[in-house]
Amino acid sequence: MSRKIILGVSIAFLSLFILIALAAPLIAPTGPTVIIGPPLQPPDSVHWFGTNEVGQDIFSQLVWGARITLLFGLCAAIFSVTISTVVAIAIGYYGGIIDEVVCRAIDIFLPIPTFVLLLVLTTFFSPTVLQVSILMGVLYSIHGIRVIRSQVLPVVRMNFVEGAKAIGAGDLRIMSRHILPNVIPIVIVKFISVSRRLLVVGVGLSFIGLWDMSTVDWGTMIQNAYSQGGLAMGLWWWLLPPGIAVVILSLSLSLIGYSLEEQFNPRVGVNRI
Amino acid sequence: MNPVIPSGHTGGGQMMPLISIAGLSVRFPAHSECVRAVDTVDLEIASGDHIALIGESGCGKTVLGMAVMGLLPENARISGTIRYRERDLLRAEDVEMQRIRGKEIALIMQNSANSLNPVVTVGSQVAEPILIHGILPARAAYTEAVRLLEAMGFDLPERAAGRYPHEFSGGMRERILVAIALACQPDIVIADEPTSGLDAQVKSQILHLVKKQMAERTLLLITHDMGTAHFLCTRIAVMYAGEIVEEGRAHDILSLPMHPYTQGLLSSLPSAGLHSIPGMSPSPAHLPGGCRFCSRCPSATARCSTEHPLMSVRGSRRVRCFHYD
Repeated sequence: MSRKIILGVSIAFLSLFILIALAAPLIAPTGPTVIIGPPLQPPDSVHWFGTNEVGQDIFSQLVWGARITLLFGLCAAIFSVTISTVVAIAIGYYGGIIDEVVCRAIDIFLPIPTFVLLLVLTTFFSPTVLQVSILMGVLYSIHGIRVIRSQVLPVVRMNFVEGAKAIGAGDLRIMSRHILPNVIPIVIVKFISVSRRLLVVGVGLSFIGLWDMSTVDWGTMIQNAYSQGGLAMGLWWWLLPPGIAVVILSLSLSLIGYSLEEQFNPRVGVNRI
Repeated sequence: MNPVIPSGHTGGGQMMPLISIAGLSVRFPAHSECVRAVDTVDLEIASGDHIALIGESGCGKTVLGMAVMGLLPENARISGTIRYRERDLLRAEDVEMQRIRGKEIALIMQNSANSLNPVVTVGSQVAEPILIHGILPARAAYTEAVRLLEAMGFDLPERAAGRYPHEFSGGMRERILVAIALACQPDIVIADEPTSGLDAQVKSQILHLVKKQMAERTLLLITHDMGTAHFLCTRIAVMYAGEIVEEGRAHDILSLPMHPYTQGLLSSLPSAGLHSIPGMSPSPAHLPGGCRFCSRCPSATARCSTEHPLMSVRGSRRVRCFHYD
């Protein structure tokens, strides 16, 4: 199947989710926490995905949950990629002892399982969405520094960098105007793959409960369904919608990432899926 | 005239040189040895001078040019002075060098695959020095860039300005590099092999362009090509193994080369019969104690291999050879 179709369908799904998140008040005007009927109702024509144990509409929760879930993934990915890019360009450009120190530090942090580290660290912070996303951004930027730095190094050695110095450009200008535009493709690819990863990690964190449980997002929905025995009682409409939503979103982000990676880097193997 | 004295105040009512390089040495520590890329070079460049640094690959001519620009790598060990307008460029602050680079002293880069940024349009790249030095606001700088491209011989400068470097041929890219160098109307231009890799006709076009643009400026040309040096420059300094071995007016040097190396260079020209100089130039990490050209010199004597010759001054000529003591 053509890669273009895969990319197109993935982007369509992602756009759909973003649209739902943005238009949540229009699609589900009642809000996710309003009790609208009897608890544990199976899906019908009014409540498309039924209700949960206190009688909240699961469709509303799914729609409003998309906001938190996407916003969190996006914030954390922006933090992560920004840190990766800035650090990678700086150490790649200056080189020498700074580069050496940062690279050795990365070597030390890289084998530590990030999710476990995150679990430990989240207990020290008040788990608001913003704080957790900053924390995750920092932790998940380590791998990105490596990847982006490897693209920065050949650019730094290109003659136009010397040329920029020869016209009197300062370091900041060279890094932002000359090196950054040359590594933007890899930054975008990294952004897509990191946002997918962080989205799933975010859902995982809220499922475990290391998270502001008063928010409604897909992770807390799954957690709720699971802890209240929805699974044991066979109440599929409680558990499946957020689960399937996570899978589709994560899959479309992965496919977008792989497609872009192949576009920008033809050496990447074709059979990634 | 005594060009060896490094002081900015040469006697006899002589005009003060614009740039005076004195005792410049550049060394690169490499493993256990030390590469002497440039060794005690004295050179004075008067305002309006067109001077060519000529020599084979690895003789240190580019390193000398980069030293004037203040663009040597950090591991370079530099000694001596480069005086420019009451300042020593080797001891200038980074910020001050940034103000000088591109605005007062500009570099015409060698045309190579990555001498222009592949993801920035040509117009923006030509306008960049103007913006960096705050000469014009953004829009006016871009207009000026279009005007510069027109002056460099682009037929459709507006269209060219919106394009990316890979859309141009080698000759056109060299014109763009000239435009970038001239964007801020610099007094001094250093041109590092501006015609390398170009075919004969394009090369001649570029040389005419450079010559026209250099009419009011001071040029330091770095080249290995006698023809280019003769066409663009009024003075020639021949470098060999990090030293200047002969320096003087272009016409004098070409009609009567004094140093055996210069003689060898001239007789290696196609018009003189392509006679190559036997042997290899010494490695800059292991320079011989005597004259550095000694092992390849047809008229070497016993003294040449033991004693290092000093520069002897003969009128407007300087030559580093015992035969002219």
